[in-house]
Amino acid sequence: MKRFARALALTMTCALALPVFAQDKPVAGEIKEGSLKGKTLTFVSYGGIYQDGQVAALKEFVDKSGVTLLNDGPTEIAKLKAQVDAGNVTWDVVDTADLPPYVHCGTLFQKLDFSKLDVSKIPPGQVGECSVPAMNYGVVLMYKNETYKDNPPKNWVDFFDTEKFPGSRAIDGSGDPTGGLIEQAFKAAGGDPKAMTPDDIEKGIQKLRDLGPDTIYWKTGAESQQLAESGEADMIMMWTGRAMTAVKNGAAYTPVWQDWLVVMDQMTIPVGVKDTDAAYALLNAYLGANAQAVLTEKTSYTPINSDAKPKVDDATAAFLTSTPERNAQGYQQNIPFWVKNFDLAAEKWNALLSGN
Amino acid sequence: MTATPDEGLRTGPAAGSGQPVFLSRFRPRGAVWLAAPAVLVLLVVLAYPLGIVVWRSFTDPAPGIENYVWFFQSAVNRTVLQRTFIVAGWVTLVSLVCAYPYAYAMTIVGKNMRLALILCVLVPFWLSGVVRTLAWVILLQDSGVINSILRGLGLSPVKLIRTLPGVIIGMTQVLLPFMILPIYSVMKGIDTRLLQAARSLGAKPWKAFLQIYMPLSLPGVYAGAIIVFILSLGFYITPALLGGPRSILLSSLVQNQVLSLLNWGRGGAMGVVLLIATFVLLALAAPLMRQKHTSSRREA
Repeated sequence: MKRFARALALTMTCALALPVFAQDKPVAGEIKEGSLKGKTLTFVSYGGIYQDGQVAALKEFVDKSGVTLLNDGPTEIAKLKAQVDAGNVTWDVVDTADLPPYVHCGTLFQKLDFSKLDVSKIPPGQVGECSVPAMNYGVVLMYKNETYKDNPPKNWVDFFDTEKFPGSRAIDGSGDPTGGLIEQAFKAAGGDPKAMTPDDIEKGIQKLRDLGPDTIYWKTGAESQQLAESGEADMIMMWTGRAMTAVKNGAAYTPVWQDWLVVMDQMTIPVGVKDTDAAYALLNAYLGANAQAVLTEKTSYTPINSDAKPKVDDATAAFLTSTPERNAQGYQQNIPFWVKNFDLAAEKWNALLSGN
Repeated sequence: MTATPDEGLRTGPAAGSGQPVFLSRFRPRGAVWLAAPAVLVLLVVLAYPLGIVVWRSFTDPAPGIENYVWFFQSAVNRTVLQRTFIVAGWVTLVSLVCAYPYAYAMTIVGKNMRLALILCVLVPFWLSGVVRTLAWVILLQDSGVINSILRGLGLSPVKLIRTLPGVIIGMTQVLLPFMILPIYSVMKGIDTRLLQAARSLGAKPWKAFLQIYMPLSLPGVYAGAIIVFILSLGFYITPALLGGPRSILLSSLVQNQVLSLLNWGRGGAMGVVLLIATFVLLALAAPLMRQKHTSSRREA
């Protein structure tokens, strides 16, 4: 029934939208019947429940357009570079982390032609020159209820205050530095993140180092979840999806939403793909309200189409980041700054993570 | 390396020349071609990629030695390189201490017991290293099994996970079979009548063991130690999961350069440095082993 209602709504939207925009202006979620028959697209993402959800979101696109959708993964920028260098790109649409599309824009990822995409329903500030968001999620501070009872931490500054809030800390050490966290660390050190200079990166990193040798740098999302479920750390920096699952599994932790770090995955088209138009068609279908609702229902990540109306349970709803209240509390890292200083930040971050 | 345990099998007064008699007489020219398939595979899957890695380390992003200059100028790299060798050394030592008596026990117990001991070595060997490492996380973590028991007994908990000892424990368990099996294969070929002979000539048991048995078992020890040491140098997943920032090994840094920063030249340079350092260390250790080996022969 739900699916029928949605299909009906979609048909009606299309019917209403078509005459207004004429044929050439794309509409997010609109799929031309049989347009990609006999064609093959390879979609690359991070696997697991997330990619399963994305494939479910793209099912309508596959059914209607007639395309054969292949899945590959996990996304590794090094593998993509090897394909681009060799002039044999087999990945047509690639889901990446926050920054790579900015760092490698025009070299590994195509500059997008926005006359072929409808980005009008995407929350402001999320569309890049080489990317559209794949979904939103957050990085939250989770604290252990038992440790802080009546005096819980209220923001990241408290996270860095080990005198007022004693206890162990766990931080995302899974890969690239999280710019937003370094900005918050710099703020806790008395700086102004808005006026950060490259020299200030070290000051932020030093604040992290000052947390002490007991600090845990978790390597995978699963590890962060395990830390929460076994109560290993008193405050944990966690992805909202993992935080939600941990709480569902009985972890006695509470999220702090003040200054939660806004993060997103990105959808990109690599340089040198064989059928660019087909890749655009996939992206445009993916951005549709219906596809985004399916994605959220399957993965609990926040949709990036403001018209999407996913039906989720209360536990999932509690960790969605798209409510007006959450939007007001979110903290957006300074993307241009971190793109510009990516190598420097990565070098300092690696030094921190290897105990130096 | 692989020849060493075999040599152990032929020990005893008659082994002398180091070559079985029938082979030294009959050695056809074409025999070398028997190795051709293996050589071909090694060329394609080892030599060629390795060549590319070396080439890149000198040419990417620009021709020259800047990647190597960068490697040795960075304090992080030097510390981690040193740490990698220290950890590999510890793992080798701890494995040896655990494996030697175990392998010896395998040679003296009855048939059924021996089967049980072999299974104890092999069954974990069949499991994925990641699974075993995650099991260690559950055992070693602050709220884990070991610390729960300690707390239950009224003792103070110990910090195991995210420490170097934690990493060494985990790596030792994964690598133990590589130490036990070569030592055992040498030990089972040792003629125990030599010990009886020593005893009958008046040697005390510990002296017979130290002067007769142990030297004869050394080829297995060397083989096991080299395998474990070299495998330890490249360990990635166990230190990443059981270690903290102060127990990261070089492979993690290589991974970072190659996969996350796309500095393939730097990643290549790190690999080359590790490879050369390993060769140098083995070259230094080789004469020592050969000497001990021949002297043990003489005593035997």
